Amino acid sequence: MSTVAPTRVERPHREESVERDRPWIVIVWNDPINLMTYVSYVFQKLFGYSKEKAERLMMQVHVEGKAVVSGGTREKAEHDVARLQAHGLWATLRQD
Amino acid sequence: MHGLRRRRDGEIQIGLAEEERELLRQLCLRLAAEVEGGGEEEGLARLFPVAYRDDKTAAAEFDELVRPGLAEGKVAALRRVGETAGSERLDERDAQAWLTALNDVRLVLGTRLGVTEETYATGSGSPGLAIYGWLTWLQGELVEALAAAL
Repeated sequence: MSTVAPTRVERPHREESVERDRPWIVIVWNDPINLMTYVSYVFQKLFGYSKEKAERLMMQVHVEGKAVVSGGTREKAEHDVARLQAHGLWATLRQD
Repeated sequence: MHGLRRRRDGEIQIGLAEEERELLRQLCLRLAAEVEGGGEEEGLARLFPVAYRDDKTAAAEFDELVRPGLAEGKVAALRRVGETAGSERLDERDAQAWLTALNDVRLVLGTRLGVTEETYATGSGSPGLAIYGWLTWLQGELVEALAAAL
């Protein structure tokens, strides 16, 4: 099904242990095609956010060009990016 | 009723003309075949954004490990719309397939047409833009129907 995103099970030992402790953040970027109502709906559906929080994040994406929408371990951030991309949102991740 | 509405039993009622259903079917099946074919053309690339902006190695790994599953999910949803475009109603699972498939068709078409945030408002007339506008309307209907149940 389209909403099921694959998860990455193992991660090569690339980072140092200290580096690994810094959280990863998931960013959604503005684009001219995705509907505002759709983006807000996707945030509610994927992350369980309230309508108010989802609309605030959606407006931040729209007005400021991007917003941090979730975060955590690298694995969680990658999983969230995959789910957002499965929904057509312009999502990326990086270490905070 | 012209458009999509949530029924009291939770399913989505489809009110579309036969030509609209056929157009939707063709657009979705064509894109499914294109996604399966792969390639880095701009419209298709929009479906798979680079996940790591500043790390080419990590971005390549993400593409290798995650992209095949993403592509598979998108193709399955597009095909499902092809199968259900003639239906009178959609259950939740099919409605979610319609939601992502419609959005993917809009993303690819909109990218190829070079739309901006002002394009839809000024709405002037190539056939491609007319189809894009129609898809935008249809997706708005679906989002509204689905959001009503959140």
